[in-house]
Amino acid sequence: MKKNFNSLSTKIVVSIAAVSLFIILVIFSVFENINKKAFLNVEIEKANLIAKTIKPLIALNVYLDMQNKINQIAHQLIKNPNILSIKVLKNGEIINEVKSNEYKNGIKDAFIIKKDIYKPNSKINIGQLILVYSDKGYRELMEKYTKVMFILLFVLSVIFILFSLYVKKLLSPLRKIARLLKNYSPNQKIKFPFILKNNEIGLISNALNNMQEKNFQYSKKQQNINNLLEKKVNEKTMELRKQLYADTLTDMPNRLSLFNDIESADNGALLIINIDDFKEINDFFGHEIGDNVLKKISDRLKNMFSADKNIKLYRLSGDEFALFFIEKPSFDYFIKIAKKLVYYIEKMIFYHENNELGVIVSVGGTHQIQKALQKADIALKSAKKQQKSFFIYDEKLNIEEQYKENMDWVNKLKKAINQDKIIPYFQPIFNNKSGEITSYECLMRLIDDNDDVISPYKFLPIAKKSRLYDKLTEIMIEKSCSHFEHINHYFSINLSTEDIVNPSIVEYIKQKLKKYNVAEKIIFEILESEGIDSYKNVSYFINEMKELGCKIAIDDFGSGYSNFEHLIQLNVDYIKIDASLIKNLDTDSNAQIVVQTIVDFAKKLNILTVAEFVHNEEILIKVKELNIDSTQGFYLGEPLKCTIHHLD
Amino acid sequence: MIFATLVHSHNYDQLLLKAQASIFPKIVLLDKKLNEKLVDGKIIYTIAYEEEDYFTAQEIAKYMKINFKENFDKYNYKVNLIKFSNLSYDMNTTVIYALNSNENIQKVANIAKKKGIITFSYDINNLKNGLLFSLMLEKTTVLYLNKENLDNEKIDFIDSLLQMVNFID
Repeated sequence: MKKNFNSLSTKIVVSIAAVSLFIILVIFSVFENINKKAFLNVEIEKANLIAKTIKPLIALNVYLDMQNKINQIAHQLIKNPNILSIKVLKNGEIINEVKSNEYKNGIKDAFIIKKDIYKPNSKINIGQLILVYSDKGYRELMEKYTKVMFILLFVLSVIFILFSLYVKKLLSPLRKIARLLKNYSPNQKIKFPFILKNNEIGLISNALNNMQEKNFQYSKKQQNINNLLEKKVNEKTMELRKQLYADTLTDMPNRLSLFNDIESADNGALLIINIDDFKEINDFFGHEIGDNVLKKISDRLKNMFSADKNIKLYRLSGDEFALFFIEKPSFDYFIKIAKKLVYYIEKMIFYHENNELGVIVSVGGTHQIQKALQKADIALKSAKKQQKSFFIYDEKLNIEEQYKENMDWVNKLKKAINQDKIIPYFQPIFNNKSGEITSYECLMRLIDDNDDVISPYKFLPIAKKSRLYDKLTEIMIEKSCSHFEHINHYFSINLSTEDIVNPSIVEYIKQKLKKYNVAEKIIFEILESEGIDSYKNVSYFINEMKELGCKIAIDDFGSGYSNFEHLIQLNVDYIKIDASLIKNLDTDSNAQIVVQTIVDFAKKLNILTVAEFVHNEEILIKVKELNIDSTQGFYLGEPLKCTIHHLD
Repeated sequence: MIFATLVHSHNYDQLLLKAQASIFPKIVLLDKKLNEKLVDGKIIYTIAYEEEDYFTAQEIAKYMKINFKENFDKYNYKVNLIKFSNLSYDMNTTVIYALNSNENIQKVANIAKKKGIITFSYDINNLKNGLLFSLMLEKTTVLYLNKENLDNEKIDFIDSLLQMVNFID
């Protein structure tokens, strides 16, 4: 239905009909008004004419008092069917009145013509002629007129219907063409009708036919191109799919492929083989050699397990391979394969320019299919950590729980950093002679969601692994320096070797020292045991800081391999004697000897000594006896948020 | 009995005489060239009679005096009674109203025709002898006009008068 209303023919016909109807209505209403008035005027004119005609005669008769004559005229006039009544008045009095029967019966549709009667040949009014004239003629005329108008409307309607049918017929070829075009496809030719017609339809048909020809040719070409493209795309897709699931170097299925296989498996087991320190092979001998080693290992693995249809091989990453057992083997067989792997791969010798190369591998495995890849990875890491050649994941070891706990700590740390809940606590260090506070050690604390104060021993190792450590160091430096900007006391900050060898941290320290002007007050505490490996870097840092006016302390001295030579060369200012030597100092005579040696040595080098972990009076007395310069410990003052401490 | 009938006088219908006395002066006023016919500014209404009808003529004059007082409409008028035998071409009058006469009607007609005088006749038959108007009481009051006598440039009545009169040839 909607379609019909939208058709061109309907629109043309409706438009013409609307315009015509409007014009007809305007003409009709105008004519109606004009003609009605005209018809009425004609009747009035007629009545007027009659009155005008008889008026002189009536006037003369009134003038001559010829009443009989007036009556005669009136009766003659009343014969006219349109005249309903004639009344003649002389000086206001009726001298003659004749009425038609129709008028007597009470007809009301009439109009009245009044004419003043003048004395003949004069302008003196002598009476009035009143003519009641029927408008029957007018009404009849109007009826005829209306009838004619309705006939005209009917005829026009018929003409419009015929016209619309004609327009529809004229446009029907367009509809036919449109129906044909509806199913048009560039690959299929349509036989257009009306091509031979010498009119607009013919022109359209011809144009469409030409267009169709061109489209057909173009489509043919396009189809060829599409076929070619499709072929290429398919080839490329296959290639990409292969690349997606296969390793290009070894032609083995890759990690994604293993992941899919594990997902779709109901049981099974997994071993992951990692080549230890493979990066060094790449670095020393180049990637080409590294790739060659990997290829040979993959070939060896293929040879080893080609006969076993239950084992599927994968290359997971640069130096990692995997063995997936489609059906779960016995645990013994599983262990046997792991050992065999280690044995045969480590037995392999690779040659390069007369050099012999060998590799060490670690194997991690899981005998469970659930989270197999994750568990095998954990097992591999455990193997490496424990420096074992292979490790099989065991639920009882609760390794997964530890991982989860570590991840929780990472989240806690991130949250604490974001919410500014890493803060320094300050523990005083007292001069053993004067009893006054000589300095404060700034100790890192984490305030958790329950406002509990957490010691760094719980989160620092995890922070180091998760790369949050740098941020923690920066926070401690910033807050500690800021705190002591206007406090006239020495304060110490612990630095690890990671901090010292990190140029950005060193640069950050310099900026803060300058910003808060605390270089003369700060003491950097460096762990004795850590300094050995990066001696050069530590020495450089110490010199740099000492140039700025900072002081250096060796922390936990005596805990490990105490290297006095290094101590001399590093030019330190303080030695903080390790807690393990102090905690039983009052009773442990060996500890007393070691501490006495350290103190003597330090005195000779003008290095001040600090006893940590002084937790009771006996130890404090012993510390003083041994001539240690300063004391730090819970007995004298525990770490607090503020720096106000008093020695009783 | 207003109009007494004498032994030798003609017979006159009194009602007709009255009607004529009422209507004829009014007809005079319908002449569009009346002003040319005034004598000293007056309408002279001459009643021509035979001797034996003198009394009738007087009665007519009296009746007119009563009916019209001093004026025909805006015009002053004077009624002259004159014997047919005294009529001459020298006389000045606006209207001649001829009572019955056996011999003098033609004379009246000739004078009137020559001088453009409006003529009225008591007897309709006199119209055939050249007089202009007469009046009869039939079913209605009927005014007669001899159209032969109308052909005169000096007399020009209003059209409606001509529409209502009965013409005689």
